[in-house]
Amino acid sequence: MFTAQRAVAPLKAFLVLLFGILVLFQVMSLPGQFAHMARENPDMAYLRWPATAVTVFWVLCVQVVIVCTWKLLTLVKNDRIFSEASLAWVDAIVWAIAAAWLVLVAVFLYVGFHADDPGLPILLFLLVTGVTVLGLLMVVMRELLRQATTLRTDMEAVI
Amino acid sequence: MPIVVRIDVELAKRKMSVGEFAERVGLTPANVAVLKNGRAKAVRFSTLEAMCRVLNCQPGDLLEWVEE
Repeated sequence: MFTAQRAVAPLKAFLVLLFGILVLFQVMSLPGQFAHMARENPDMAYLRWPATAVTVFWVLCVQVVIVCTWKLLTLVKNDRIFSEASLAWVDAIVWAIAAAWLVLVAVFLYVGFHADDPGLPILLFLLVTGVTVLGLLMVVMRELLRQATTLRTDMEAVI
Repeated sequence: MPIVVRIDVELAKRKMSVGEFAERVGLTPANVAVLKNGRAKAVRFSTLEAMCRVLNCQPGDLLEWVEE
């Protein structure tokens, strides 16, 4: 527990940094990138706003995960991680990953049926697999947390 | 739970107050109250041992099973 407590502060600092970088991407880099691509390939320009919306949504999902992780770290610091309060934040992480996964699968199917070279579909397939693993892993971790919470609650009733 | 902790009887025999008992066993008065009114879910052997040492009795003198 002591090691975990010491890792919390630097981890939080990096989460803030990551969140800041993602906001920059969201408001400046991504819209600018797709505007640039629309100018370069006028025949693909109709994809500009859908692509911007989808990527901004994915970044939003990551931001939700970051905020939830921050909240969970606060619980770890206060030694309250094995309580009902933490399950809500883990649920939010699972839902954020699930939402990103659904949109990712939709994009993968759309690109897969329209692509003329296999590069992008393969990259998207890798992403789908990765996000699937991450999502299922979070479901398992959630169950482990629930079991540990039950154990802790039982132990606290022992006099 | 049909297991009752009979601290009050042993305390009365020794004329010991709940506060003194709690302090000598190393329990909070709140936990002693939980034991007394039968809301305890589980007791550590170490707690049971401390109670037996303070009251100079056997676990059987403290624990009693009653039909619900």
